[in-house]
Amino acid sequence: MIGKRALPDLDAVIHAQGRLRVTVALSVLPPGDSVTFPRLQDLVGMTAGNLSTHLRKLEDAGYITISKAYRRRTPVTFVTLTGAGRLAFEEYTAALRVLLAPRDHGSDQEDL
Amino acid sequence: MDDSQRSERSSDLGDESHLSPEESLALIEAQREKAARSLYVAPALILAVWGVAWLVGFGALYLTSHRGLGGALPAPLVTSVFLLLFAVAAVVSFGEQVRRGRGVSGPSRRSAALYGWSWLLAFVGLIALDLALENEGLPPRLATLLWPGSSLLVVGLLYLAGGMLWEDRRQYWLGVWVLITGAASVAAGVPGNFAVLSLAGGGGFLIGAAVALAGDRRPQPARP
Repeated sequence: MIGKRALPDLDAVIHAQGRLRVTVALSVLPPGDSVTFPRLQDLVGMTAGNLSTHLRKLEDAGYITISKAYRRRTPVTFVTLTGAGRLAFEEYTAALRVLLAPRDHGSDQEDL
Repeated sequence: MDDSQRSERSSDLGDESHLSPEESLALIEAQREKAARSLYVAPALILAVWGVAWLVGFGALYLTSHRGLGGALPAPLVTSVFLLLFAVAAVVSFGEQVRRGRGVSGPSRRSAALYGWSWLLAFVGLIALDLALENEGLPPRLATLLWPGSSLLVVGLLYLAGGMLWEDRRQYWLGVWVLITGAASVAAGVPGNFAVLSLAGGGGFLIGAAVALAGDRRPQPARP
């Protein structure tokens, strides 16, 4: 009940299983690092089609960049979490913790 | 492209329908763990392999060099075992780095590549220096102290650098320990130096491996 009312506060782009998986996996990489499409597929355990769909939406939101390069004449797709994407993910997890925290903050104040 | 909006909507319904905040948080933890396991080098494995190489390799050298025990082990066999153990440890370390970095590029991989080259270049420099000293007439007894002692100086410094590079305190302290072990081994003289390298050096790595393993197993503290 609480969840339903609070859900609109959660970033809708990230709050979906597939895209959340992708965002988490990318956030584990050090800032600025890129990962190839097949390795990312490996990290999240998704089909190529499924992953492409999620990546497109994350790219539209500006949370990731997708770039293509040629390695030994083979096109390679690289995915990078943007600064905006990393920030959005941090805010998303912060919002989750607020949602899951007990209603009254008495215990927090006692700690201080 | 025309039906992208339609498919967007259907897939949104598909994967957003049953994701409560609790499930979301659980999914984040599980996915983070899975990705980290795949992307991060397992320090316990690498430290354990090096620990065994030092303990057994230098231990065997001690047994052959010791006057009282010298006859027990033939020197060519001991040297072969020693080189084999260190080659295996180097291959395992390098293999781990390559395997974890597969498909990843960017600043962290560039640092890792430069760090890898630092090992190679440092040892090329060390071998050149030690060989030059031997050519200049360094007595075998001192050469026996110089090779492992100077190697440990290089290894220790590179662990200090690795600790700085990855902000890894444990690696930094291991570097400090290796520097101390190296100096102590030279101070111990031949063949005591091999005992120091085997027990303090190998032991240090194995303790490091145990600490890393315990850290992995310890459940992550729940954040408020």
